Amino acid sequence: MSADDHNGPEMTGPELEGDERLAAEYAMGLLEGEELLATRGRMANEPAFAGLVARWEQQLMPLLDDVADAAPSPEVWERIASEFEQTAGEDSPVVILQRRVTLWQRIAAGSAVAAVAALALLFVPIANTVDDRPAPASDAPPLVASIPIADTPLRIGVTFLPDRDDMLVAADGLTTDGVHDHELWLVPPGEGAQVQSLGVVAPGTQKRVHLDAGLAQSMRDGAQILLSREPLGGAPDKSAPGPVVAEGTLQKT
Amino acid sequence: MQESSPDARNRLIAAMERLAGGDRAALEVVYRLTNVKLFGICLRILHDRKEAEDALQDVYITLWRNAARYDAKRASPIAWLATFARNRAVDRLRTGKVRRGAVPVEAAKELPDGDPAADAMLIDAERTARVHTCLDHLDEPQRSAIRTAFLDGYTYAELAERSDVPLGTMKSWIRRGLARLRECMERGE
Repeated sequence: MSADDHNGPEMTGPELEGDERLAAEYAMGLLEGEELLATRGRMANEPAFAGLVARWEQQLMPLLDDVADAAPSPEVWERIASEFEQTAGEDSPVVILQRRVTLWQRIAAGSAVAAVAALALLFVPIANTVDDRPAPASDAPPLVASIPIADTPLRIGVTFLPDRDDMLVAADGLTTDGVHDHELWLVPPGEGAQVQSLGVVAPGTQKRVHLDAGLAQSMRDGAQILLSREPLGGAPDKSAPGPVVAEGTLQKT
Repeated sequence: MQESSPDARNRLIAAMERLAGGDRAALEVVYRLTNVKLFGICLRILHDRKEAEDALQDVYITLWRNAARYDAKRASPIAWLATFARNRAVDRLRTGKVRRGAVPVEAAKELPDGDPAADAMLIDAERTARVHTCLDHLDEPQRSAIRTAFLDGYTYAELAERSDVPLGTMKSWIRRGLARLRECMERGE
């Protein structure tokens, strides 16, 4: 059909549907209300879905060059500089995190007693049914962290259900290189807090993990989550992560 | 002073990398290279200079915490920053922090008084992007609906009202348009 035909494919053709529709509408900023909230949750938990959104975003980006330039008042930079000044003591989160991890690695290396309580994490595979489950009927909203994996559009989604002390780890998009595993770590809030292992991430799966009360409390407080690269089987010393490849912060949905 | 675009682009990438690495001084470099472009986007979406300036301030302060997410292998820095600014501005609308100015401001047509670098960077990288061609291949009213939704940050309800059509019709237009857009983009990939 010709492009001039007003009964052309756009009036009668198929509509974008399903996840593609949601991903495009999310990237366009068209979603509102509950659909927007639910989709934000999926962004955090489903790397494959986050990848669809990233793709739409990337494809739509060039349209922004049609927007006319405009100069802000010169005071705007002064305001930014002054607000920025107030954060002068604070390094960027990534730097703080790297420093904290380095510090902890140093402490751990120097410590003869590396017997930091081994966290017996019971990984219970629950196949791909996480999202079919009804949302917890509770007023405690889940906390989510979306952890982008460097050089890929993939994310690992960590969701914490405060009323159950359960953590869901979605690593659907992650593949294994055969010589490394990835391990999740919790950096509890506060200076000098010790990094704690949340266990090895199994590529291509979604898992539910029940956390002990101490870890659960840290999660509730909005801890930072690290992803490190480890030898197969996870960090040999369960108290110190290897190279950190990604990080995210648990946030209330 | 017109810089050649690869220089400006590389300077911006370098500044983004320094920012991600914790170099606070890099923020001003990024600002100087991009504020005219990003302010244009905030103004387009928020229709109000004051709101747009508040949004711009928020964009650069937030950028400090998010610069590490930028990956030079996946997107041009100015396109990524433009998207970042757009999403922050649209978020301000959706979370009700801001009421959109009722009248589109003529100020949006102002010419920049300063750095042409951002524009120069865009020309090479983005003007020829396939999405332009694909959007041009769509018929009206789908083309305008998609453009307006993306560039002005309107909701379905606002778009329907502006075009004086039922909400369901507007959703259909956009979803059909998006389906064709995707099909066209895939052919070009």
